Amino acid sequence: MEPTEIQAKLLELLTRIAPDIDPRSVVTDQDFRDQFDFDSMDGLHFAVAVSEAFGIPVADTDYGRLANLRSAVEFVQAGLSRKA
Amino acid sequence: MRIEYRLPSLGADMESATLTEWLKKPGERFTHGEPIVTVETTKGLIDVEAYEDGQIDDLVVAPGTKVAVGAVLAHLIVADSAPPAAPEASATAGSSATAASSATAASSASPAVTAPPSPATGHPRLSPAARRRAEELGLSAASLEQAGSASILHVADVERLAAAAPSSATAPPPPEPIDPRAAMRGAIGAAMARAKREIPHYYLGLDVDYGAARDWLARTNARVPVQERLIDAVLITKAVALAAARIDGFNGAFRDGRFEPARAVHAGVAIALRGGGLVAPALLDADRKDLPALMRDFSALVMRVRAGRMRSGEFSAATITVTSLGADGADVLYPIINPPQVAIVGAGAIREQPAVRDGQIAIRPILTLALAADHRVTDGRAGSRFLRAIADLLQRPDGL
Repeated sequence: MEPTEIQAKLLELLTRIAPDIDPRSVVTDQDFRDQFDFDSMDGLHFAVAVSEAFGIPVADTDYGRLANLRSAVEFVQAGLSRKA
Repeated sequence: MRIEYRLPSLGADMESATLTEWLKKPGERFTHGEPIVTVETTKGLIDVEAYEDGQIDDLVVAPGTKVAVGAVLAHLIVADSAPPAAPEASATAGSSATAASSATAASSASPAVTAPPSPATGHPRLSPAARRRAEELGLSAASLEQAGSASILHVADVERLAAAAPSSATAPPPPEPIDPRAAMRGAIGAAMARAKREIPHYYLGLDVDYGAARDWLARTNARVPVQERLIDAVLITKAVALAAARIDGFNGAFRDGRFEPARAVHAGVAIALRGGGLVAPALLDADRKDLPALMRDFSALVMRVRAGRMRSGEFSAATITVTSLGADGADVLYPIINPPQVAIVGAGAIREQPAVRDGQIAIRPILTLALAADHRVTDGRAGSRFLRAIADLLQRPDGL
């Protein structure tokens, strides 16, 4: 899966778990916590959505890698390549 | 029996709401807990649930109308033995509806929250971001209806519809644009000013060693898939709820000059809204649910808050509130009581700091709890017992 495809999917997931975010406004390398006041529940919802949408495991210790869009794309790429 | 159906107060910060949609038509039946009308408040859209079984007789207020708390919205037909359909109305200071709402409060039945929101009724449900965009584009609800109502509309859907809509379907911009953030800030300000004016707060703080809870949470979360993981806020909320059930004077409401203890513990949880403001809907029976069940309720509640679509029972039910700042917050949060409740617990950020343990200085994860409680009901000794009980519960997370 291409990084642009992954990013588009991640933005869709982000909008699903946080419908109050305008996906056009997302800055790729700024943490969601700083950008959108993400709290721990939002972070967990995003981790669940990523795990289910891409079929990859997300460990309790991986949440930091889902902190912003850029690192989330890298995390998903790595997860998908392990799966392949 | 024909009774009046009034707009309930859905929190101390609510004085009025705009009726957005009737979910039931005249003649239609409803059951206890079923949403019958949707109102827009400064918190977002709230589905107001029925307090008993019945039938709509006639509708008094049309969609789009702004009404005060306590105003008659409709007439209902209910069984003769049933109490009047008065929701749990906390009187709103300074509101003309105070008399009406408090007059009916005594006979309130506890609102149900078990029913799921009603299925689509022909009106589209917009995400908060999409609603803002629709307003910017001057799109009317009618022109959005053609999109169908099976799912929530997002910004992209609204823009697609705006592009496709013939100009005649485009409504003029609303005559009186209200800044929702300013409205929410005003509502919070009014409620908190009332709390500070009327409630003699006292404050206590306690540093809690969070090591046992943190280790237990890490072990538990490592064993389960991501869908079943827990967060700190759930442990803290459960500990507060259990302590509130065990120590008298912190769980309930202060009304008409006296404290009314509540039998159940419905823990209000403060949830910050993006763009400012916060809401504190309740996790029902928080002391009796196990952690996975409480986590599921909490998760679903946050999702509803984020989607801007909440349920009335969640807003009138809280008997005590917990507010957590999260990982990057300040060390201590001195909260303000949410009337008519009598206590609120603030949890600061959990941080590593030196602490004395077994006569040695050790680096420990510390959680500072701050209690604000009502001096008309309890004093510092009871408050200390309450905080110590929470701290003890957090030392034995297996028992939560």
